[in-house]
Amino acid sequence: MNYILEAKELRKEYPNKLALQGLNLQIEPGEVFCLLGQNGAGKSTTINLFLGFIAPTSGAAFVNGMEVAANPLKIKEHLAYIPENVMLYPHLTGLENLALFSSLAGFKYKEAELLDYLHHAGLPAEAVRRRVGTYSKGMRQKVGIAIAVAKHAKVLLLDEPTSGLDPKASNEFSQLLTQLSTEGTAVLMATHDIFRAKEVGTRVGIMREGELVDVRPTAALNAQELEQLYLTYMHN
Amino acid sequence: MHSIAQKEFVSTLRDKRFLVLSVLVLALLLAATLVGRASYQTLQQERQLAQQTVNDQFRHQPARHPHRVAHYGSFAFRPRSGLSLLDSGVDSFTGTSVFLEAHQQNSVNFSQAQQSGSLIRFGEMTVAFVLQMLVPLLIIFLCFGAFTQERETGTLKLLLSQGVSLRQVAWGKILGYSRAVALVVAPALALAAALLFGTEEFTSGTDLVGRLGLFVLSYAVYFFLFIVGAVVVSAVQASSRAALVTLLGLWILGCIILPKATANLGATLYPAVTKAQMDADVHEEAQHGINGHDPQDQRSAALKAGLLKKYGVDSEEKLPVSVGGIVMSESEAYSAKVYQQHFADLNATYERQNRLSDWVGLLNPYQAIRPLSMGLAGSDFAHYVHFQQAAETYRYALVQRLNALQTSMGYGDKERKLDAHTWQQLPLFAYQAPPLGWALPRLLLPVAALLLWAVGLSWLGLRLISNSRLA
Repeated sequence: MNYILEAKELRKEYPNKLALQGLNLQIEPGEVFCLLGQNGAGKSTTINLFLGFIAPTSGAAFVNGMEVAANPLKIKEHLAYIPENVMLYPHLTGLENLALFSSLAGFKYKEAELLDYLHHAGLPAEAVRRRVGTYSKGMRQKVGIAIAVAKHAKVLLLDEPTSGLDPKASNEFSQLLTQLSTEGTAVLMATHDIFRAKEVGTRVGIMREGELVDVRPTAALNAQELEQLYLTYMHN
Repeated sequence: MHSIAQKEFVSTLRDKRFLVLSVLVLALLLAATLVGRASYQTLQQERQLAQQTVNDQFRHQPARHPHRVAHYGSFAFRPRSGLSLLDSGVDSFTGTSVFLEAHQQNSVNFSQAQQSGSLIRFGEMTVAFVLQMLVPLLIIFLCFGAFTQERETGTLKLLLSQGVSLRQVAWGKILGYSRAVALVVAPALALAAALLFGTEEFTSGTDLVGRLGLFVLSYAVYFFLFIVGAVVVSAVQASSRAALVTLLGLWILGCIILPKATANLGATLYPAVTKAQMDADVHEEAQHGINGHDPQDQRSAALKAGLLKKYGVDSEEKLPVSVGGIVMSESEAYSAKVYQQHFADLNATYERQNRLSDWVGLLNPYQAIRPLSMGLAGSDFAHYVHFQQAAETYRYALVQRLNALQTSMGYGDKERKLDAHTWQQLPLFAYQAPPLGWALPRLLLPVAALLLWAVGLSWLGLRLISNSRLA
């Protein structure tokens, strides 16, 4: 099986903390894998290891079959990333930010195409030519989504992507993820939102103290069962 | 890389803090250019007028004995170089004119510093001062957050997730900041170029074009160093505050402390004799030669005896030449030789002091751009010495020509005078400043220092950036 994302005994230690212990994970194209867990459980560490932003203490992360540590730039061609709090360049407009990040990824879009991406991400038309310094967190998040979508990556790495979005925008984002996954895009999403995970995820993984303690297909659980399972692990 | 450069450039232009600072620096640059031009005009006109006046006075002397004319003397006024409007170098502290007379090698006197208040010793507001001291400060305030702010706000991760390397980001930033700095500096340099080449008061030519071109290029490298340095410091420091404090500390060390310390060290290691001491030494040593004004001088008597023998006559009256003229000529040759030796020793001491500072340029780019800037502007110590030597060469030739006239007058010359028309045949002092080709070999060390800094900092700095942390 060709996994688009794979972690083999992935471990990350800091001088005074074990952030991730021996993670084994495989994600296929078109799959939406949601990582649930409390703050400090290792969700963001996992995403940062796949992005190559931090080096593993041991084990290896693979993107499209390439080891991340050996191909730190090449693997990013296949990845798009949305952090919990999308920070953009405040002196540039939303449109200029999208043009900049797209050009860095190798895409030179025409203005109409850029506007289209921003529109589909839910950014109001009146905001696209305003400087990002005047944006709310939710508006920045939408530009971040547009940046990720415009990259046409095989994998989306999302770290609390709906943080700061209003319910309508969150719902639209869920629909977007579903659409992208049906087109073959794999998604690894760290989230606290159990119901969103159930809604868009194909599998959920529960992390606790740097360890992936359980993995379930979302189809096998309803939202209440998932919540109960999550709370059980957290209380233990 | 170009996208990042464009982003930095646009962001910088839209940043009000940068706008305020850059408008201030640009205003200072433009003001310094205009003030430099006004100062150049005033001093140049004054010196031209003074030179013309003393030349007229010299040529319109009445019928006189040539040795009286030699003592009447003349003045040589140092013309300013065109580029001194950008960098006045040591011009304000060195003299502007020298009195040329027989038997005496006078100092170049009447510097601006002598005639101004003590405030001039704190430095003048020249274009070079703004370029060397204030533009680096602007660069520091522009670049200190290059990486730290990206890390603090979290944009760096998003940027790198697009598939660019830290090295590409760094080069993009360096390019973007370079454009912003060029935008601030270029108008002032364009104004200077327009003044230099668009008005008649400056002697433009390929030499001036070459000097201005290298002047601009040197400062471009200097600013590049500060931009790269600031970006590197920003990449390796943990916070914007730490980066700013580090950069300001380096600026104080490089632009204020090290130059002063080097100057003091140079003066301690290579102490120069005072003017009074040198004059006394020259006077004392000149006593060993012929004294043209002392008829009892034994060496004069020996010379006279030699002349009688040479011409096969038994008395001075029968000589076809004036013994007094030949004695004066010999005396002048000896005292000039003594003076040149002492002058060369003193200059060698100053050269050693300056050389020490030039070598420190390998550690401190500010001490590399300073001599380079002054040298290209024609306002450094070497150009000053060139004038001093030209004035002494002219003085010596003039006095010896007058001695030759006296010699040709034969016996009893002291009772006679030469026609007023004679003085109009004598050449006037016309100073030709040395060309760029003369100046460049003297500037190789500062040029090498700047280039080594540029290559070394780019290589080492970018390696540091590549290995710097992301979060």
